[in-house]
Amino acid sequence: MKRETDYGYAIKPVYTPKDIEGFDYHTHLGDPGSYPYARGYHANGYRSRMWTQRMTAGLGSSSDANKTLKKYREMGQRGGMQVIHDRVSCSNIDSDHPLGRKEAGILGWPGSSLLEFEELMDGIPLTGQSITVLGSCAPSSLRLAYLIALAEKRGDDLSQIHGSVMESPFENYLGQTDVQPFDLNLKLFLDAAEYVIRNKIRIRAAIISQHFQESGGNNAQALALEMAMLKEMCGLLVNDRGLDFDDVANLPYELVTVGSRFFEEIAKMRALRRMWAKLAREHFKAKKEKSCQLLIAVHTSGRTMTYQQPLNNIARCAIQTLAGAIGGCTALDNATLDNAHAEPSSLAARMSLNTQHIVAAETGVTDVVDPLAGSYFVEFLTNKVEEEAYKILHEIEAMGGMIAALRKGYVQQILKEEASKKFREVDSNERLVVGVNHLVIPPEEEFEIPIQQVHAGDCESIARRMEEWKKTRDLPSIESRLNRLYADAKQGDRSNLMPSIIDAVKVYATAGEVMGVIRKARGLGYDPLNVIECPFALQ
Amino acid sequence: MSAGKGIKVIVSMIGLDGHTTGGEVVSMILRDAGIEVVYLGVNQTPEMIVEAAIQEDVDAIGISSHASNYSLIDELIALLRRKGLQDVPVICGGNIPRHDIRTLKEKGVAEVFTPGSSSASIVNYIVANTGVRLGVA
Repeated sequence: MKRETDYGYAIKPVYTPKDIEGFDYHTHLGDPGSYPYARGYHANGYRSRMWTQRMTAGLGSSSDANKTLKKYREMGQRGGMQVIHDRVSCSNIDSDHPLGRKEAGILGWPGSSLLEFEELMDGIPLTGQSITVLGSCAPSSLRLAYLIALAEKRGDDLSQIHGSVMESPFENYLGQTDVQPFDLNLKLFLDAAEYVIRNKIRIRAAIISQHFQESGGNNAQALALEMAMLKEMCGLLVNDRGLDFDDVANLPYELVTVGSRFFEEIAKMRALRRMWAKLAREHFKAKKEKSCQLLIAVHTSGRTMTYQQPLNNIARCAIQTLAGAIGGCTALDNATLDNAHAEPSSLAARMSLNTQHIVAAETGVTDVVDPLAGSYFVEFLTNKVEEEAYKILHEIEAMGGMIAALRKGYVQQILKEEASKKFREVDSNERLVVGVNHLVIPPEEEFEIPIQQVHAGDCESIARRMEEWKKTRDLPSIESRLNRLYADAKQGDRSNLMPSIIDAVKVYATAGEVMGVIRKARGLGYDPLNVIECPFALQ
Repeated sequence: MSAGKGIKVIVSMIGLDGHTTGGEVVSMILRDAGIEVVYLGVNQTPEMIVEAAIQEDVDAIGISSHASNYSLIDELIALLRRKGLQDVPVICGGNIPRHDIRTLKEKGVAEVFTPGSSSASIVNYIVANTGVRLGVA
């Protein structure tokens, strides 16, 4: 059995003070609540702010997803909700698109219009909990527009709404693609980011290493990419958009994956806080302490959930949840026991939420901040993963930063190599996975778990509803607002499209229409999949 | 390894599914075994896959699926039959629930490999099930 970290460091049988020679408590860790924040941002840890316990929702129609959210609230999800887009709206096409209609509502919420968002949030408050809606970069500006439009309709004070609806444009290269070109995703992401910062809206943007790790990347690479993505994004907002770093720093948070390599995962989270604090203070010259505090949301690892013997995943989920809690997180959402089969059934969702509640209420983990600080092994691992991450980060910087490294294919290559390595390690039994290559049982002894699925007929009815509803809208208003958007989009990258996107969304222009018109203005085809024509007369 | 020498296959995503890692890792496994892989990537329709199968004259079609209602796989099988390519086996891989595996096989999918399948099981299956057509070709 291989005894090394996932980034290839051979672990010794014992760690002593010699392994952390030169260690200085205040320089390397600081008290909880003090720079460099390796130990977290609150002197009293979870006693002053409990992590947000949430589960990802989204499957079938918007009304189905609404029912799931309400069910999660009954299960004790109160601090925040998290919804993920289906594959169709991830691509910013509509569910009545000839290709979209076959997959509407698969893997997420079919959020292609304000109507769908209204249905999703029916009877659920926008305030008093964090509103997180993610799924890919492309719909970021749409999601922001839905939120602003619905808040206005409900008469909610926008300043009381917080959460995260924006997602950085790098995922297209990190194992989870959407169909929009990178330049367009980047431009719209920066527009949405600038809009929330200038208008002091408390909506954040996820800078996601989760997809990279869930696709096979290792901890050191993930940390390096997180820093490279954050540096590039913040740099663009400061330099190209003329924003103050101390305002920009409130925008990003990091969505990290936590797997079963317990101590390594905790070390990664501690290192992440320290690396960001240093980047914020030394590189971006942060003036405020808050700017040095990068919030971390944890997703326990879906890729570690095995297809075989799915009940074993409950144990994995518990170990990972404990690691995420000890590592110090702002929010946590779990993978579920059925993750390798389907989207969470309500049984699986309840198991995972309860796993969080058990860790929070029964283990004592919330009583003491950063309880593993001072462990020779954990401090060593924190230093080690940081050191390895900086090596990779320096390589990326030598290429000119994250975007340049993507254009060179460097990031794609390391991901490909690492995914292959991870597969080979299991294939050759160097790493043991219970039920997969260790203690395997015959298929007839497998326990059948309930599976929640969307059938072709469900997809078609989502599509047909979209098709019929589209005809009932105020088409002259839509056409006039889309023409405004078209004119704005023709002015090039520096013209912020958020105001005209919000105006179009308010009269129920759809994601496919909004993005199609922007694409036309940029000289691209209306439909990223080249099937439908632009239905509007644009001038 | 050269067990797969002379065999040519397509590996493709189907529809809007963007989770590419599985298909990419399987492509690597097959290439390591000497099999020639035509990797089509994301956003492929049944028509595009069948067209590629004809152009490339492949011995099997591998479909990577992370999330689906499998209707596009049904369409792919039907289209292959219409084009007289029913002897080209369609092999699926991914997190496909057991009862869907049964349905897919009833509809004509040759085999389904779930997460955790070994490289040997995948390669051996392809080598054992593409030989006949090789002889004809």
